[in-house]
Amino acid sequence: MKECRTAVVPASAAGVGLAAEAFDAFASARRIPGEVVRSVQVALDEILSNTVRHGYGSQGEGGRIEIGFEIADGILEVTIQDDAPAFDPLAAPVPDTTSGLADRPAGGLGILLTRRLMDDVEYERASGRNRVILRKRMGGATAPPRPETP
Amino acid sequence: MQIRDEKVGAVRVVAPVGRIDSNTSADLERGLRGHAGEEAILVDLLEVEYISSAGLSVLLKAASAARARRGRLVLCSLRQSVREVFALAGFTAIFTIEASRAEALDRLAEKPGGGSR
Repeated sequence: MKECRTAVVPASAAGVGLAAEAFDAFASARRIPGEVVRSVQVALDEILSNTVRHGYGSQGEGGRIEIGFEIADGILEVTIQDDAPAFDPLAAPVPDTTSGLADRPAGGLGILLTRRLMDDVEYERASGRNRVILRKRMGGATAPPRPETP
Repeated sequence: MQIRDEKVGAVRVVAPVGRIDSNTSADLERGLRGHAGEEAILVDLLEVEYISSAGLSVLLKAASAARARRGRLVLCSLRQSVREVFALAGFTAIFTIEASRAEALDRLAEKPGGGSR
């Protein structure tokens, strides 16, 4: 069974908040495990903040971001699309998490967290749009029931 | 975001409430910058239910600034979900993190650099 929902939010800090609310509503109506919800909340916040900051930064207000939530085969998939100039958040350098305080750069953390929290992160540029896809397995709690026969 | 702010003995205690995300991290940054001159700062995360990389960056900057002035910054009372994000970012190793406010205040009461030299 496939379930999906789409939300369109302005490319602004307020829009990031609206997207979080849309995801919370989607998640609570479908009993998605709390751990999965928290992981996706962080990843979604990171990707959307990036889009607002880098994607639409030079154009100011007016941009829109489309977010799709979908559950299929026990995998939660979140698709984030925008019309901003091409920007691949996954191309950013990843900080070294073993370095000490003095050497830690403040940037790049969002993408690092996103990669670690999700099972799969993908970027593509298609038809003049940026598309980031986050995938997270939902674990045993929401897996389809086993057939009765072994 | 709401930030509780008090002085306990010689320690400045800053306790944000709610979510520290890209929307609210600037509030925390302002709250911490106001105390940049203080020697001992405790950030109590008991009432923080969520932190994103924007929040981590603010704490990282505050800790670096404290260290540059030979001050100290300690974190305490991280919830499980917040601790997870810290661990994933590799932050549990670079911050001093105590389980409770009482333990953190004890830690900060120790004389800085009081070990053998």
